[in-house]
Amino acid sequence: MKEHLIFYSVVKKYFIELKRYFLNTLMTMGGIFILFMLVFFGLKSFEAGTDTLQGTIVGFAMWIFAVMAYSEMSWGLLREARDGTLEQLYLTPSTFRRISAYRVFGSFIFQFVLFLTFLSIMMVVTGQYLSLNPGVIILIVLTLMSIYGIGYIMGGLSLVLKKVQAGNQILQFLFILLLVLPTITDHKIIYFVPISWGNNMINRMMIDGLSLLDFTMIDYTILIVNSFAYLFVGLFIFSLMEKSAKKRGLLGHY
Amino acid sequence: MTQGRTKRSTEKSLTVNGLEKTYPQWRKKSTRAVDGISFSVDEGEIVGFLGPNGAGKTTTIKCICGLVEPTKGEINIFGIDAVNDTRKAVSNTSAVLEGNRNIYWRLTTRENLEFFARLHGRRLKEAEHEIKSLLKRFDLQEKEDVPARKLSRGMQQKLALSCALIRGTDFLLLDEPTLGLDVKTSKEMREFVKRLTSDMGKTILLSSHDMNVVEDVCERVIIMNEGKILANDSVNNLKDVFNVHLYDFILKGEQRLPRLKEKYDVTDIQRKDGKTKLRASLKDSDSFYDLINHLQKKDVKLEEVNNLDKNMEEIFMEVIEKEEAVR
Repeated sequence: MKEHLIFYSVVKKYFIELKRYFLNTLMTMGGIFILFMLVFFGLKSFEAGTDTLQGTIVGFAMWIFAVMAYSEMSWGLLREARDGTLEQLYLTPSTFRRISAYRVFGSFIFQFVLFLTFLSIMMVVTGQYLSLNPGVIILIVLTLMSIYGIGYIMGGLSLVLKKVQAGNQILQFLFILLLVLPTITDHKIIYFVPISWGNNMINRMMIDGLSLLDFTMIDYTILIVNSFAYLFVGLFIFSLMEKSAKKRGLLGHY
Repeated sequence: MTQGRTKRSTEKSLTVNGLEKTYPQWRKKSTRAVDGISFSVDEGEIVGFLGPNGAGKTTTIKCICGLVEPTKGEINIFGIDAVNDTRKAVSNTSAVLEGNRNIYWRLTTRENLEFFARLHGRRLKEAEHEIKSLLKRFDLQEKEDVPARKLSRGMQQKLALSCALIRGTDFLLLDEPTLGLDVKTSKEMREFVKRLTSDMGKTILLSSHDMNVVEDVCERVIIMNEGKILANDSVNNLKDVFNVHLYDFILKGEQRLPRLKEKYDVTDIQRKDGKTKLRASLKDSDSFYDLINHLQKKDVKLEEVNNLDKNMEEIFMEVIEKEEAVR
């Protein structure tokens, strides 16, 4: 079985590139942290309650996680096309979808470490301590599936349409709306849109101190069906776009 | 022409049959890039695709490696149907597309080689010896730990070719391998490509619009224009067909040479400044020596003979012009 070698190769490359551009990553994180501090202390100056402040911490950390996960899918693909390496990834015994999933796995590990680091610093700086139940990893993974699905959709669109950066930026702001949606409405829409329901469960676990066993089967069903529906729709649309790109000879062009 | 190639089998590495590719265009007329072409490449052979920009060379190569979906036709790589079983077929194929792209500029030379070896399912232990050998062969040893972005363009192209080779496949597609290289590096690259078949037994389909590359490296050439194959023959045969060995003979004195035009294919005689210039197209070396003997018998002193044989560029232009004249 050669697939594990391909997996290892893709994940290793991700970490080598990350290490080589670590300073750049740190500076980006620094910028995000300053933004967070502005939002947090802005809310505090308006005498927001503890729940709101803690919700801001979780929401902000989840937003960074979501944006990074999404960017890895869509920007990663654009970068490969721009650099001329995308076509090489199609000339392997594996499939491009699998290869991109391996890269997402690598990025998830890094982003999760970053998420925990970020969360810890935020908690220390703000003095708002959250419950860090290890079960939260499961909820984060399931929640992010929908983000990966959207990443595949945008990645597929960028294969055919190329210039989709503006759409990427709009989506980053849309994620904020989706993350805060459960706090502003209890309309059933939160079951259907991506990340809202998952973030709601993560909030309940980290702020209210719930464990995985405290959630109902309905909670899990909504989360799993929502996340996998987005993921599979994303994969399906990516396949269609990939086929269209091959038909139009657009693969690898930028 | 390449010398000293390893004896190859008559097995077909690649068979293309009736390949057609029409690109659909949004609100525009579709573009037919490849128009029902058929050809094959034997194991261990280097075949060159020659044609002007937009001839359909790159589209054909991309169809072969599954990056572009053909509209019609069959492609078989080592007997595997590359249209319907692309993944299996491309696992036997490596490609270097558009020169120095194809490699990761953030990774070092060695990291690139290791990445592509594993990406093709090769264990590093198995590939290590080959990595060292490729670094040596391509003079990249000293640049082993240098990021690809810091290498010269020539070195980047050598690395791209090494990365294609480390995959360990027998069939190699090279799209414009000398594009953007200076004269010296281009020559080096041509030597490397030639050795790939002579030393390593690779089968290569190479596309270029540089006639010198094709003439120097390839055994057979396929000339394409507007999606069609205009000629598919060995470099030597094409030269024979189009050349008819043209010579200029410079003779001392303004000579009158009756019946020379009738006996030999003398196309032009000019008498000027105490010299006579004959232009003759001779079929073979016998006709050449025949004419020399004839001139000697007539006591004509021969001062100079210039061979005006056409190079690949002139042959290529002639093929293209003939095709355009027919249309």
